[in-house]
Amino acid sequence: MNSKIIRYLFGKVLIILGMLLLLPCLTALIYREQEGYMYLMVAVVTVLLGLLFSLKKPEDTVFYFKDGCFITALSWVIMSAIGAVPFVLTGEIPFYVDALFETVSGFTTTGASILSNVEALSHCSLLWRSFTHWIGGMGVLVFLLAIVPMNGGSHMNLMRAESPGPSVGKLVPKAGETAKILYVIYMGLTVLEFIFLVCGKMPVFDAICTSFGTAGTGGFGIKCDSMLSYSPYIQWVVTVFMLLFGVNFNAYFLVLFGQIKKALSMEEVKTYFAVIVGAVAIITFDVVKICGNFKDAIRHTSFTVASIITTTGFGTIDFNKWSVTSRLLLVSLMFIGACAGSTGGGIKVSRFIILFKTVKKELLSYMHPKSIKKIKMDDRPVEHEVVRSTDVYFITFVIIFVVSLFAISIDGKDLVTSFTAVAATINNIGPGLELVGPTENYAFFSPFSKIVLMIDMLAGRLELFPLVLLFYPVMWRDLLFSTIREKRKKKKID
Amino acid sequence: MFGKKKSEGFKIIIVGCGKVGTTLVSQLTREGHDITIIDKDQSIVNDVTGTYDVMGVAGNGASFTVLQDAGISDADLLIAVTDSDELNLLCCTLAKQFGNLSAIARVRTPDYSKETNYLRQKLGLAMIINPELEAALEASAILALPNALEVNSFAHGQATLVKFRLPEDNDLVGRTIASIGSSLKSNITFCAIERKGEVYIPSGAFTLEADDVISYVSNRRNASNFLTEIGYKSNKVKDAMIIGGGKGAYYLAEQLISMGIKVKIIETDKARCEELSLLLPKAIIINGDGIDQELLKAEGIQSAESFIPLTGIDEVNVLLTLHAKNVSDAKVITKINKINYNEVLDKLDLGSVIYPKFITSEAIVAYVRARQNSGKSSNIETLYHMFDSRIEAIEFKVDAASAVTGVPLKDLKRKDDVLVAFINRKGRIIIPKGTDSIEKGDTVMIVTKNTGFTDIQDILA
Repeated sequence: MNSKIIRYLFGKVLIILGMLLLLPCLTALIYREQEGYMYLMVAVVTVLLGLLFSLKKPEDTVFYFKDGCFITALSWVIMSAIGAVPFVLTGEIPFYVDALFETVSGFTTTGASILSNVEALSHCSLLWRSFTHWIGGMGVLVFLLAIVPMNGGSHMNLMRAESPGPSVGKLVPKAGETAKILYVIYMGLTVLEFIFLVCGKMPVFDAICTSFGTAGTGGFGIKCDSMLSYSPYIQWVVTVFMLLFGVNFNAYFLVLFGQIKKALSMEEVKTYFAVIVGAVAIITFDVVKICGNFKDAIRHTSFTVASIITTTGFGTIDFNKWSVTSRLLLVSLMFIGACAGSTGGGIKVSRFIILFKTVKKELLSYMHPKSIKKIKMDDRPVEHEVVRSTDVYFITFVIIFVVSLFAISIDGKDLVTSFTAVAATINNIGPGLELVGPTENYAFFSPFSKIVLMIDMLAGRLELFPLVLLFYPVMWRDLLFSTIREKRKKKKID
Repeated sequence: MFGKKKSEGFKIIIVGCGKVGTTLVSQLTREGHDITIIDKDQSIVNDVTGTYDVMGVAGNGASFTVLQDAGISDADLLIAVTDSDELNLLCCTLAKQFGNLSAIARVRTPDYSKETNYLRQKLGLAMIINPELEAALEASAILALPNALEVNSFAHGQATLVKFRLPEDNDLVGRTIASIGSSLKSNITFCAIERKGEVYIPSGAFTLEADDVISYVSNRRNASNFLTEIGYKSNKVKDAMIIGGGKGAYYLAEQLISMGIKVKIIETDKARCEELSLLLPKAIIINGDGIDQELLKAEGIQSAESFIPLTGIDEVNVLLTLHAKNVSDAKVITKINKINYNEVLDKLDLGSVIYPKFITSEAIVAYVRARQNSGKSSNIETLYHMFDSRIEAIEFKVDAASAVTGVPLKDLKRKDDVLVAFINRKGRIIIPKGTDSIEKGDTVMIVTKNTGFTDIQDILA
């Protein structure tokens, strides 16, 4: 492994994080809040650390997929660790594990909170919470790719490690340019939502935080009742934008270049919307009974379905009170998740398409044992490698899920709570059912359970394997040895 | 760190990712171009996109949809280097239908090689490249002048650029360029002279000194005649033994025969031998296994003046070269197609080594560079860098009559350090004298210390 480039890139990540921490400082300046100093302090220290790490640019800038995964996973862990510090320093979340939980939940765009009264937070902390969603949505290493010119063909290894979906493609030949285009689309949509929200008479601060939360499909609200108290117009705007951020960004790229037809014919996008329409139809039928009128029912249902399938986690209604069928449907949506290449979490629609097609292929092979059928998506053959890794992904997901469930079961909460707590974190949604329902929070879990859930959140956001690699001893041994070898070489030269 | 580097690269599509394709990807990405590759083999596409910062499309490069997926509509250049000549030509012809882009095709079959110019004009291609032929030209240039420091061929082998060191006892020492020019029979142009680390473009009054590194341009035949004339031992070989009878061997044999060198080809395949004997009536074709030491001995490897193994297998070529070095004093040339162990090969003392894939990719890269230097509407055919890029040699196409055309060179007011090295008139190389003039339709090579020339008119003061 190339430990030097890992150190270098890691330094760059810290610098970026430090810069991003200046945004809450700015907020504090506007609202004249003392908490801002804490953010400023952390920002300065982070930037200095980053400069220290990235002072010397290594000559050998080639790194491989494993290095990419390693640096990605490690960056996310350290970013969360640093991002949590201001919460503790300001005294708003006194316990570090809680603060870490909040930050991991932010960066991974989960939106699961341990706070029972968010409104008590200072403006800068509220903004930082929502801003972590925005950073985590597209990913900080993709951002790094967009702004730091790098040579060699190694860029894809970073993008592959951080981007969601079974197979990551480029939009344009250069990875750096691809990253730029992604961020431009991301920023554009965020600004668009902000404008729509402000038009709906939402206060500017609320609109900024909500836009950040929606863009990253995060779901941290700045009100205790999440989105309930806002006007129906605002709720509809948020619904639409949640859905938009759950669409594969390749579709927007195609739209930008005038290939709307091609964008609309993307199999994943079509399936995504079909699932949404289906779910809304079924649940509305159920919710009408509770709400009393169709207009409210469809608004709340659309909002909730959008919020769950895109793994955002905003709420306008307590779906804990819905019928079993509706709740079960919501839990299913949690697992399906958004499209690959979006900012959403979950297992991803395209993986399910591939899985279903594999099952169909298997059935065919029972009928005609010698038949040969290639799985296709968007009229293109899906490589065996992608099918295989999708299968393995699914199995790994189930394993991690079950292990986590056992781990938090030690707390002795009921099965629905435990199950949905894991489901809501590993799929990066936020609210689950029963004790972790939309009006509740995660504060009651033991620190151990919280750590397990944090790992789940990171695993879910980073598509399992980069994070699992961190727990793979061979990886560390490799890194250690390469560092030692470098040192020895240096000694020899001296 | 937030500095943004504007990308000014071209959008290039490369069809076929074999040896040449991959070499091109590696060189062109380094120069900052946006590259999309097309290959029918998905796993190759994966490999290349995993190693280089390029986009990949799996499919047939001659298919409309595949080309569209690769973004042909706004591409600047398409390079087709698949195994098949026909596919390459088809790719380029199709691609040209999309609009304003240049296309380069690799065409190797001897059937087409005679019609290169016709094909290029009729199909509107920027370049047709034949690595086997280029490699053969380079090899023959080396065999013609084994003692020169460097030999390069230009204008599809018609012109040769030779670099040699002037010995102390030579007649030329102390004489001016002008006086040499009038006394020589062979027509050559002195292009550049390197003396104590400085490079000069010589004028008529320039005096040569011992130990100068002189490079000159001439047509192929005169390149060696000149050296003989000035009494510099060129040691041109008289015979050549070629192992393997592939396309490369055919091209090389054809060149060597035209240079008056006797050629012997050893080839295992009987049918191919018969073919070759029809194609090359002057060559001796031996049907047998070139790896067989006894056969080599029987065919006189010990006394051969040059030995060129051209089998399809690099390892065998290297081995044969080493064997030849061992048993004879022959000048050996090794052709390496694929293997990539330069450091090891350097240590082996193989003599001259030729890499067809680099010849091809360098020619293409030079073309791209020329286009890039000069914007999109340029008359530059090719651009070479000499003496560590301190001197540029540029081939200009003269499409229209202008202030430069029709005027005797001695009356043209040129910038300093600009030299007209040769004029290529319909495939004939003219080494220009003061009375010659550039005409419409010519291709002219200019040697200069200036940079950024985009048109032949730029040479005017």
